[in-house]
Amino acid sequence: MYTFSIYLRLLRAQLRSQFQYRASFWLDVFTTAVFSGVYFLSFALLLERFGQIDGWRLGEIAFLAGMTELTFALMDLIFSGFDPDFFAPNVQMGRLDQIFLRPVSITVQLLGSRLVLRRLGRALEGLVILLFGIFASGMHWTLAKVLYLPILMVSQIFCMGALFIAGSTITFWTVQRVEAVNIVTYGGVEMMSYPMSIYPAWIRRFFTYVLPFIFMNYYPALFFLDKPDPLNMPAFAPFLAPFVAAILFWLALRFWRFGLNHYQSTGS
Amino acid sequence: MPYFWTLVRTSARQQMTYRMAMWAGLATNLFFGLLRAAVLLALYNGQPVVNGLTMDGALTYVAFSQALIAFLTVFGSFDIMRTVYDGSISGDLLRPANFFFYWMGREAGRAVVNLFWRGLVFIGLFALFYPIRTPASFTQWLLLTLSLLLSWLLNFTWIFLTNLLAFWTPDAQGILRWLFGLAQLLSGWMVPLRLMPDWFSRFCTFTPFPGMFNTSLEVYLGLLPGPAVWQALGLQLAWLILFVILAQLIYRAGIRRLVIQGG
Repeated sequence: MYTFSIYLRLLRAQLRSQFQYRASFWLDVFTTAVFSGVYFLSFALLLERFGQIDGWRLGEIAFLAGMTELTFALMDLIFSGFDPDFFAPNVQMGRLDQIFLRPVSITVQLLGSRLVLRRLGRALEGLVILLFGIFASGMHWTLAKVLYLPILMVSQIFCMGALFIAGSTITFWTVQRVEAVNIVTYGGVEMMSYPMSIYPAWIRRFFTYVLPFIFMNYYPALFFLDKPDPLNMPAFAPFLAPFVAAILFWLALRFWRFGLNHYQSTGS
Repeated sequence: MPYFWTLVRTSARQQMTYRMAMWAGLATNLFFGLLRAAVLLALYNGQPVVNGLTMDGALTYVAFSQALIAFLTVFGSFDIMRTVYDGSISGDLLRPANFFFYWMGREAGRAVVNLFWRGLVFIGLFALFYPIRTPASFTQWLLLTLSLLLSWLLNFTWIFLTNLLAFWTPDAQGILRWLFGLAQLLSGWMVPLRLMPDWFSRFCTFTPFPGMFNTSLEVYLGLLPGPAVWQALGLQLAWLILFVILAQLIYRAGIRRLVIQGG
């Protein structure tokens, strides 16, 4: 409880500092939203010529892409402190030593060390695309879908958060930020925005058996949109998301603890 | 002029120092390239030609667009803006070169290295996965070189121009990010303009942006018949001249507002 109140206090400090320049803040949120929207817009324009991609129409793609955008942006907001691009300089400059000296959980300090509210812009954009997708695809709501939607979103947030934590942990050894991590994080998001059935088999297998992203977005989307499964997975595949997320997050935390125990300062 | 070449050489050497970053960049480009190729293949869905662009032409577009990210600085750059904010511009203004040419020299050095490492090497790597086309004749190579040079100059001047905003606002980053995103879309880098809806690509031709990428792509693929090539190159040149004049005017107006703090 004590740690949690510390976390809240750290967050409040972050919020206050970012709200100092209110007009500039909202302008930033707005431009971020429009800027992120450009990518989806370009794909929507492309679909105007082609009509569909592998049997998916614009509304269905919007559901897939909007969901990924929304959860990634929320994750990016909550786990800002673990963003490898932000975390690596902490290790490089030896700033992590300071954090070690304080009598509060290191994980909590990092979670509270940064909250980039500007990213609300991207979340907003994701939400708009998702809502458009739900309407345009003519999605048929059932009780199961209503119950599963929030579970799925939380699962996606934790799944991608696990990647951020793991990516940051690697920098304990590499000191520098590892660009290859971006392939998995930003590349993973980009990949999850399209139906997985379009990728070459070897890429798809990697993201089914090694990093099981396919269960985080593609299969749940098949369930929500009542689409047939061209890959013939078992019928429970759409519901694996919470389990995959839980396992990945647990593994990432284990790795993080292991990294913390083996941390050697850069000595600067 | 000798000072310009010194700048080019130094920044090229600086860029070559980061070998690991180079490989990491290549790996990232390759991954995104494969993703984008899969998306285009699924969209084509077996159609041989869409609006004059063949399927292997579309795959070549993916290779070409990923190969030029570093060379053309497609995602933009905030370097000049930062020197205004941290005051290091005061040192750069003392140099024996015009501010515009000073940055052009620095950027040119980086670009040459990136054209080879992130460009040619990338296209070679990509060709291991998908068949890609290359210009067919010597003339076409020559035209491509010309068009790429103009593209590079246009991109550089665009980045220079937008960064000058730093003279007027204390936080230009958000606006710049937005402008660079706009350029990615309208230049045909995100999606070749031929595959866009007709009304959209027609709109783009009235802007300077296609000259920053799409023209070079069309020249590379040999999509422009005889006189149309020269017309396209001429348009690139015209926009470039306008950009350079604008850059000089805005720079002159902005530099008078510059206040360097501290020291």
